[in-house]
Formats: sequence, C-alpha cells, structure tokens
Amino acid sequence: MIKHLAGAIAKIQGLFRDSRVEEELAKEIATHLLYLEEEFLRQGLSRLEAHRQARLACGAVEQVMQAHRDERSFLWLSQSLQDVRHACRSLLRSPGFSVAAILTLALGIGANTAVFSVVNTVLLRPLSYPEPDRIVQFRLNSTEGSVPGASIPDFRFWLQHAEAIDDISAYDLGEGLLGLTSGIPEEVHGVHVTSNYFRLFGAPLVLGRTFSADEDRAGSAKVVVLSYWLWKRRFGGDPQIGGKAISLEKEPYTVVGVTDESFRTEPESDLWIPFQFNLNSIDQLHSFGAAGRLKPGLSLSQASAQLRSAAQAAQRQGLQPDPDYTFVLEPLRDAIVKDARASLWLMQAAVGLVLLIACANVANLLLGRATVRQREFAIRAAIGAGRGRLLRQFATESVLLSTCGGGVGLVMGSIGVHALLSISPGNIPRIGVGGASVGLDWRVLMFTLGISLLVGIVFGIVPALRVCGPSLNQSLNEGNQRLGSGSSQGKTRSLIVLSEVSLSVVLLIGAALLLHTFVALRSVNPGFDRHNVFLMEMSLHGSQFATTANVTRLVEDARQRIAGVAGVEIAAATCSPPFGDRMGLPFAAIGTPPGNSGSNGDAERMSVSPGYFAALRVPIIRGRDFDEQDRKAAPGVVLINETMAKRYWADKDPIGQTIEIGRGIGPDFEDTPRQIIGIVADTREHDLSQPAEPTMTIPLAQEPDGMTRLGLQFGPIFWLIRTRLEPHQVAVNVSEQLREASGGLPAGRVRTMEEILSHSIARQNFSMLLLGVFAMAALALTAVGIYGVMAYSVAQRTHEIGVRMALGADRARIRNLVIGKGMLTAGLGVIVGLAAAAFLARFLAGFLFGVRAWDPMVFLAVPVLLALVALFALWIPARRAARLEPIEALRVE
Amino acid sequence: MSGKDKKVHQVFQGTLDLIVLRNLATIGPQHAYQIATRLQQVSDGLLNLNQGTLYPALVRLEQYGWIKGSWSKTESGREARFYAITVAGQKALRAETKHWRRTSQLIDRLLVEGTRA
Repeated sequence: MIKHLAGAIAKIQGLFRDSRVEEELAKEIATHLLYLEEEFLRQGLSRLEAHRQARLACGAVEQVMQAHRDERSFLWLSQSLQDVRHACRSLLRSPGFSVAAILTLALGIGANTAVFSVVNTVLLRPLSYPEPDRIVQFRLNSTEGSVPGASIPDFRFWLQHAEAIDDISAYDLGEGLLGLTSGIPEEVHGVHVTSNYFRLFGAPLVLGRTFSADEDRAGSAKVVVLSYWLWKRRFGGDPQIGGKAISLEKEPYTVVGVTDESFRTEPESDLWIPFQFNLNSIDQLHSFGAAGRLKPGLSLSQASAQLRSAAQAAQRQGLQPDPDYTFVLEPLRDAIVKDARASLWLMQAAVGLVLLIACANVANLLLGRATVRQREFAIRAAIGAGRGRLLRQFATESVLLSTCGGGVGLVMGSIGVHALLSISPGNIPRIGVGGASVGLDWRVLMFTLGISLLVGIVFGIVPALRVCGPSLNQSLNEGNQRLGSGSSQGKTRSLIVLSEVSLSVVLLIGAALLLHTFVALRSVNPGFDRHNVFLMEMSLHGSQFATTANVTRLVEDARQRIAGVAGVEIAAATCSPPFGDRMGLPFAAIGTPPGNSGSNGDAERMSVSPGYFAALRVPIIRGRDFDEQDRKAAPGVVLINETMAKRYWADKDPIGQTIEIGRGIGPDFEDTPRQIIGIVADTREHDLSQPAEPTMTIPLAQEPDGMTRLGLQFGPIFWLIRTRLEPHQVAVNVSEQLREASGGLPAGRVRTMEEILSHSIARQNFSMLLLGVFAMAALALTAVGIYGVMAYSVAQRTHEIGVRMALGADRARIRNLVIGKGMLTAGLGVIVGLAAAAFLARFLAGFLFGVRAWDPMVFLAVPVLLALVALFALWIPARRAARLEPIEALRVE
Repeated sequence: MSGKDKKVHQVFQGTLDLIVLRNLATIGPQHAYQIATRLQQVSDGLLNLNQGTLYPALVRLEQYGWIKGSWSKTESGREARFYAITVAGQKALRAETKHWRRTSQLIDRLLVEGTRA
C-alpha cells in the first residue's frame, strides 16, 4: 500500500516537471543506444547495421518513451488532458458552432439555475436557527380546513400536556407593525412573544438578557428586546442601552437586551415584546402561533402521536379546549413555506423541459458536426485509437461545451433570477425583499455543475454512438461520402426534432392554461371598486385605546380631518380590511334552537366605521348602512352579506331579525343582541378565486371593549380612503392629519386597493410569467431546431433534388417536398406533445381558475401556433431547395 | 524472429522489478544498459528482454522510492544515469523475495499434486 501511495505522490509531482524528465529520459535512452551500438560494432557489424540492431534490441525510441510516460504518470489523467486540449482546439476551429452551442446551453442551464436558486432558498436551505429541523409549529385541523393559529386555552393545554415538545412558545403570526415613537416616529416590525421564544430559536445576545418567566405574566413590567440592526440603526449601538426606556406606541418600554447580529428570524423582526396574556383566559380566539422543539430522541411522528393521544384523553373528559379541532405538528419550515412548495416544484419541472429542448438542439448541432468530422474519426481509429478513446474524445468535447454553457448560465441565471423577482416577487416566503436572500451557495453551485456534466454526457453520447458506430471505417471509402445523409442518421435527427416539438407543446399548453387563469382572476369582479382607494395602517396599543369609546373618538376625529384633505372623497376605519385577517364567530338568531341549523351557524365577523361601504362602493342591497347614530348606547345593529342571508334565511326576510354573536366563546366576546338592519352585496375579500363567505358586519363604535382590545393587540387599525386624485398624491397629507388626530402616532404602509388585489394574485402572476417565458424560449429553440435539421437535410440532398428536377419535378413540388417532410415530423411531435400534455394537465389542475385543465381552446390553439412556427422555420430551407439550379445541384458531390 | 533454438521467457511485470532490485543489491549502482546486459548474461539468454521495457520498471521502482537514479560519468567518460538501491528498496527486496519464494513453492507443490492425481 505504501508503495502505491509513494507512487501516486511521485506521479503528482511528475505533473509539474514533465519537460525536464522528458529531456533526461531522451538523454538516457540515447546513451543506452550508444552502448548497444558499440556492442554490435564489437561483434563486427557495420555501423549502419549496428545502429539498426541497437534499435531492434531496445525497441523504438518513441515507444519506449511513451511506455515510460505511461508508467510515470496517471495514464487516464494525461489522456484526459490530451482530450481536453484537443477538444479546445477543435472547438476553437469552429467558433460559430461553439458559440451557438454554448449560448443555447447557457440559456437552458441559466434558467434552471435561476429557478433552482429560488427553490433552494425557499425549500432546501435550512432555517437559520440551531437544529431547525426539530422546531415544529402547532396547527389546528378541522373538517373545514386548517389554521396555524392558537388560542390561549390551546396554548395552556399544550404547555401542560404536550410532553414530547420542549420550549413551547407563542408569537405573533404575520408581520406585526408597531409605532416606534422615540424621536422621529416610525413603524417597525415588532413581535409579541413568550419568554421561551428566545430559547426555542436559540437567539444569541450581545447585550443584557431576554424575558424572564415573570415578565410573561399579565400586567408585569413593559420590557423589550431589540434586534442588533434596530439597535445599530436607531440607537447608534449604544452599549448603555440596557435599562433605558424607549417609546413604543407612546408607552415607555425598558430595553432589557439586544440580540446578536447573527440572529435573523423569518420573517424578520426589529424588536420583541412579551405577550403578557392571561394564561387562564378562556377566549377561543385563534390569534397567535405556537411552536416548540421536539424532545431529544423523539421523531415528529412520535411527538404527534403523543399529542394526539393527550388530546383524545382530554376529549373524553370534555377538557379538550378546542373540540372542533385536532392538534397537529408540522415542521416550522413547512409552515413558513406553505403552498409555495407546489408552484416552485412546478416551475422547476417546467424549466427542466426547457433544458431538455436546449440539449436536443445542441445534440442536433453536434450530430451535424460529427457527420462532417466522420473522416477525422475514421483516420484516428485507423491509426490505433480505440472506440472507447474516440467516445471519450466526444464526451470530452460535449462536456467542455456544457461546462462552458454552465459557467455562462450560472452568471445569466443569478442575474436573471433577481431581475425576475424584482419584476414579480410572487409573494414567495423566505426570499427577502425583492429576492435579496436568493443567492448562490454550494447547493446551487453543485446543482449547476451537476446538470452541466449530466447534460454534456447525455447530449454528447447520441452523436458519439452514431459516429463511432459500426460504419466507422466505411467512411474512409471514397464513394461513401454522403453516408451522413443515410436514413438512420435522418431518423435520429427527426426524432430529436419530434421530441423538441412535443416538449414545446407541453410547455405552451401549461403556459396558456396559467395565462388563462391569470386573466380570469384579473377579470373577477371582487364586488367592490378597486380604483382610487388606498389603505393606511396605524398601530394603537397604548392604554388610551383600551376602550371602544376612545377608539371611536379617534376615528370620528380622524375621519373629519381626512375628509378635509383636498382630493379625498370619503374615509373609513376598520380592523379587518379586504384581504386582511378576519375572525370567524358563531351566531344564533334569537328564538331559534341552538345548533348549526336554520338561522344558526358560523360567519366571518368584522367591524367598520360609517363610510366603509361607501368608500369601497359596495352597494347596500336592502335596508340601511351604518351612520353616526349607531353608537355604543344606541340599539345593537348588524349588516349581513347576501351569502349569509341566502344561506341562513333562505325562505324568510332576515331584516328585523335579532342575532347574538359569539355567545359562550369567552368574556371578551360577550355582546348584546343585534338587529339585522340591512343586506350588503357579496365581496371576494380573501381569494379572488373563492366566492364570498357569510359575513356579518357591526359598527366599530358598538364593538365590545374586550374585542377592541383584542383586535388592536393583534393588528393595527386600517384607514380606508377613497380619493378623487391618484391615491399617492394625497397619502402624505392624510398621514399628517392622522398623526395630529392620534397625538403623534405614525401611520404608514400606504397600499392602494389595486396593489392589494395584485398582491393577492402575485403567485399566479409569477407562475404565469415564468412559464410564459419558458414556453417562449422553448418555442424559439424548437424553431431553430426545425430550421437547422431541414436546412441540413436540404444541403445533404442537393444532389437528389437535382436529379428530381432533371427528371421533371417543378419548383413548387420540391418546396412542398421539404415542407411536407418537416411538417410531418412537427405534426407527429404535436400529437405526442398533446398526449403528454393531456396526461400532465391533471397536475396543473390545482393551479387553475376559470379554465379547465383540458380546455379545448388551449388544446386547439397551441398546435396551430406550433404549426405556424414550424412552417415559418421550414420556409427558408424549402425556398432554398426550390431555387436550386438543377445543373449545379447535380454537380454537388 | 523465428528459428531461435532456445525457448525464451516473457517476464511478469512484478518479477522484473524483483530481478532488477536483486541485481542492483548484488552489483551496486548500474545504468540501464548495464542492467540489461547483466540480466541477459545471468539468464544465459533465456530472458527475452526488450531492453526498452526496462525503463517503465525503473520509473516504477524509483517512484516507489526503492531505487534512486543520479547522473554521473562512466569509465568511458559518458554521462549516464546510474541507479542505486535505497534502504527502503533493500527492505522491499527482502519482503518481495520471501513472497516470491512462498508463491513459487506453493505453485510447485500444487503442480506436483496435480501430476499425482
């Protein structure tokens, strides 16, 4: 073993001083030959004969030297280097071919790299916490769906009974915004957490401490932990900040710690404050998320089983806090990624098809080139190159091409992905602002290298097998020069074109279906007027907003002030705007038996100020809208939407009926009975693809105090403003008025309703855009492929065409011959593609809206489009064939 | 090529290494021509050694660190590369010799067994 190691080391050293060794060897052999010659001279041979015999005895000098070389170096390595050198030379000799091949591959590999870098960032990269795979989020499943949220009784139950989970902590779901009111007011990302949070996520600190268990209790001191970045940016990295007070929502909070630079949460937050909720609360509101760490040695399924059996045991005793739900655990990463997973894998699959088409094109190019070089290979075989060696030469060339393509593709891909994500971020989690977190890491590099090598071998092997096949030495025969146009070669090329066409059909159909979906979503009428309306947010956390009366005062004052701003038509306030979070609560009509029958059930509940429906231009179908008279002291009123009226009062008039909302859910939800005073039109406010949910709306001013507190604890208040001008022109003045009305609170995050709607279909927009780009690229590549094959075929068949013309075929006939042949291949490709698309469309069904997976229009239009493109690509070679002069054509060998 | 009266032997790769080592250990430093001549003499012409095949063996042995080549003058004043056995080479020679003996004894015995059966 040692001798082999020593040998290998010596060989490696040999790589670097090859030329000196060569010289010495030549000298050594020369001396050797001199001795032999002298010997033979002594035996009485002539000088000439002695010279000859010496060489016979020793062997040909060149062979000896080669044997020596083989022995002293790694044979495979030196041969590979030789192959690479040869490949470089031969590719440089035909720069046009090389550039075309490299660019085609760069396109395919670049697109794959781009998509993979997103897939990697979102789906593969572990969360940046210690042992991220062991962090699990609690989730509630019911027959009606699944929510990641938890209520306080749930949380208490888990703390007591989820024995397989450590460090159970609660935190706000979504992005909480808080007004930082020290100095210039500003909205920052603040998250409410329980004290375990920092242990669960392994937050390192640069200063101070995190929250103590005491600080979790309701009513204890107001404390805050800052993120490194906020500490640096807003407080200049003040090392004495521990113990100082900062102002949040105009209330003083004492800074107790600062997290380390390396601690980055997903989504990112600037500061953390303790929840301090009352653990004994019986509120059923699912308002926050909870996660924990699997106990060492336990798997996810074991922990889930433990949680399930604990919940079942409690259920039997009637102690399960949320009887309608089952508790499940899911890895935190899955909880963050949500439904982005499916669309990303879809894109990865689609872009894989583009790469296949690019490969097919390059294989075609290589095949054409290989035919031309057949003589070169035949000669190399004749002088002793083995078939394996020739195959290797081929593979070396194609791998060289593909790695060059991969290199260019890597650059194109990493630029392209950021361009794409800045145009259409697609509402994808984990990618950062404008895709800032998407970058190159070792996984992306390995992926690109891997597909480059794979692609090089795959597309290189087809032409290699053709050329190095059994007919190799035939091509040395003079009379066989047109071998390349033989029928088997033609078949290979047709097959390549056929597969390109069918792959394009698949991509085009996918893209067309998604385009259809996007257009359908865009043209859905949400039931409100999206133009010239914008939203602004303001967090109201302080004790001055603890009662509904105080909030109502602020809203009334602010509405009047905003109405005075030039360009504003009407303003309203709500805690649950369109496409925001809504609460679902049970209701029961007075005088009907309990249970989910008749006029009892669950509906979404929201509260709005007067002017809300006017601002959104949602018509009141019957009855009346709220007005300023619907105050706290006035009789309770409620508006329901059409869906709710139809579903629960199918045969009666709901107006005038009295309902109770949220009875028995918890003390904060205790509400007075409310009379239904009107029916508003349905609106789509969660998902444009879903019909309206039953919804009941109450006046903001009549909100129970507990609900106001809850609502403002978990989210900001939204100002909804309809303008006569472009919304952004008035936003600054509105925010000024809001600040004055609230006594200096910041109002931020201006979003127009159109932006909100676009955002709600951003994912579909992203998928459509991406698949559209891929399909166009596929179509262009396919057109080039068809053109290439037919142009080559015409060039090869020039002689035959000449004969046909000489025998009387006219030009139209020749043209039709070429077009017919090309269209036949394309037609077969379309048929295969349609079959494949029909099979694959089922996987797309979940992404579609307003169009069926087997939409006949799409399945008709795509073949027509492809036929047109194929015809276009065939036109040039067909015309060239038709314009041939018979005499000249016959002269062509 | 034909008409040789003596039956000549091809040498296995491993055995050539062993022979060269043995030779260098007995005679002392030699250059390639000397080694080749000496091998032919000792084997009484039975060894069909194309002298060129010596070179790969020499490289191999040198790479293992068993012999060391260095340039110096011959008696006739020519520059030649002289190969000398190293300490590691001597150790390897002992081990390889032992190994060879065992192998050849084993084969012998097997062949004898074979004739009896």
